[in-house]
Amino acid sequence: MNPAMTADPLAATAETARTRRRRRLDWTTVASYALLLVLAVIYVGPMLMLVNTALKTTPEFAKDPVALTATFSIENFAEAWDKADFPRYLVNTVMYAAIATTVYLAAAFPLSVAIARRFVRGWNWLYLLFVIALFLPIALIPQFQLILNLHLYNTQVGYILLFLTNPIGVLILVGYIRTIPRELDEAAALEGSGYLRYLVRIVLPLTKPALATVAILHAIGVWNELVLANIYLTNQAYFPITRGLIVFTGIYGNDWPLLSAAVLMLAAPMVVLYLFLQRYIIGGFTAGSLRG
Amino acid sequence: MTYLFGRGAARAWPYGLVLPGLLLYLVFALLPSLATVVYSLTDTNGLTPAPLNFIGLANYQEFLFRGAAAGENLEALMRTVLFCFLVTTIQFVVGLLAALLLNQKLVGTRWFRALFFLPVILGVTIQGLVWRLFLYPLDGPVDSVLELFGVESELLGGSGLGAFLWVTVVQIWSNMGITMVIFLAGLQTIPDELHEAARIDGASRRQSFWNVTWPLLTPAVTTNLILSIIGSLQAWQLFLVLINYRPGTQVLGYVVYAQAFGQTSGSTTSNSFRQGYGAAAAVVLFVVVFIVGVTAQYLLRRREERLLG
Repeated sequence: MNPAMTADPLAATAETARTRRRRRLDWTTVASYALLLVLAVIYVGPMLMLVNTALKTTPEFAKDPVALTATFSIENFAEAWDKADFPRYLVNTVMYAAIATTVYLAAAFPLSVAIARRFVRGWNWLYLLFVIALFLPIALIPQFQLILNLHLYNTQVGYILLFLTNPIGVLILVGYIRTIPRELDEAAALEGSGYLRYLVRIVLPLTKPALATVAILHAIGVWNELVLANIYLTNQAYFPITRGLIVFTGIYGNDWPLLSAAVLMLAAPMVVLYLFLQRYIIGGFTAGSLRG
Repeated sequence: MTYLFGRGAARAWPYGLVLPGLLLYLVFALLPSLATVVYSLTDTNGLTPAPLNFIGLANYQEFLFRGAAAGENLEALMRTVLFCFLVTTIQFVVGLLAALLLNQKLVGTRWFRALFFLPVILGVTIQGLVWRLFLYPLDGPVDSVLELFGVESELLGGSGLGAFLWVTVVQIWSNMGITMVIFLAGLQTIPDELHEAARIDGASRRQSFWNVTWPLLTPAVTTNLILSIIGSLQAWQLFLVLINYRPGTQVLGYVVYAQAFGQTSGSTTSNSFRQGYGAAAAVVLFVVVFIVGVTAQYLLRRREERLLG
């Protein structure tokens, strides 16, 4: 150790303070891991129970629901796949999510650009219209009457029509587009670009990250929707996986190994997607939430 | 800002392209939302389109004052507020704690974060089914643990209050991840140098938290509280998946759905598809959301001004 350093009284106190902190830091690290592990158990527990149950036979589950599986019976998956119309539910869900998200973004993107760049008069009122959405009454009942009067009850088109708006997505897009430098607009105008060309060639590529985030957010919402599927669809051929699962639960209510296999199979694609797209997904939930 | 892409007819482009998004929003979201008030004044009923028949405030009168059902409705209202209070406070504390833990340089923080957020993307159906299994009343995991402590509970099948509290637990488990990632985003905006400076000034960890972290976390605090308060007042889907419609457990949002779409059972008058009556319930819920939401917004803004100037 440098003797000049230790001779300096200020440096010496800093030194002791640092070692003292290091020791205390170790203690807080241990406590942090302990707390994280407790939380992790609460989160992993229910999911492990699901996996374990899916691998059990029905008598095995009845005898002791908690015990680890001894049989590793994979038949549950095949049986659940056979007994329910899962491939169809999956195709339906993917179709609803894909169409609704595409149409929604196609409509929301030019709207957001016009608000963010103040290209339309009353842009601030327009913006406010989307802000207040959070507080408004549940639209469920008049929406139902509307679809009923359009004769679209229990149709796939009617169901998709319910998912073509998402005010939070517009707020996220507006916030993001505002950060794109105005100079790019001027450069495009100087080159004689028209509005459409400007939208597609200049703004669209630069807004891609926000569009991806909003798309994922919206698609997850459609994917997980249960209530609207309950209300609007009675034809089993139109069911998305959420409604399909609930119907399946109603029929095989107490056969938990079978049910668990079904839940796992339908959750699996979401979990895999989540692992790949985590950054965008979590970004979507925090975007626009910290305006300051 | 000036429009740079031509004059005359070319000026119409942005207006024209705003229309699809605006119309979709108006027709399928905003106007239906406002029309709830109109429907609450009618006796609209059932699955066949019919002209509106106005009956004044009769739906409200029935919802709030008539018979045993009115008592149940008021209880549902109180339960909604209780649900909101429990979910908001517990989720806030746990979410903040998780964020603070994960904002340190520890091993595996990415995995912990991914795990705690996972339920959010699985949605209510899977959240509910996973917990129906976890709360399996005949020697399931939670039941077994409770038995170790000598507690006999029927969990979701038990008394109204017990079942209600278990739904509260699942609601918090499901959405804590959102609170956590918003706090994490807030924490990441706080420069390390500030904590370093506080430390050099001799601040303890606790002092550093209350004097540096907490005030600078204000925007995240506001966002989280508003989102949880409004979200939990309107949340009810987990009740549907976990316990179905049972008197003594339901919250207002569920009453709206159950009355308007014929899912009622028990002692509630069960004319299926009472849309007008359900709309009145929706307006009552809106009033609660509005009062609580606006009050919270006002108090949080004042707090922000005090803390951030």
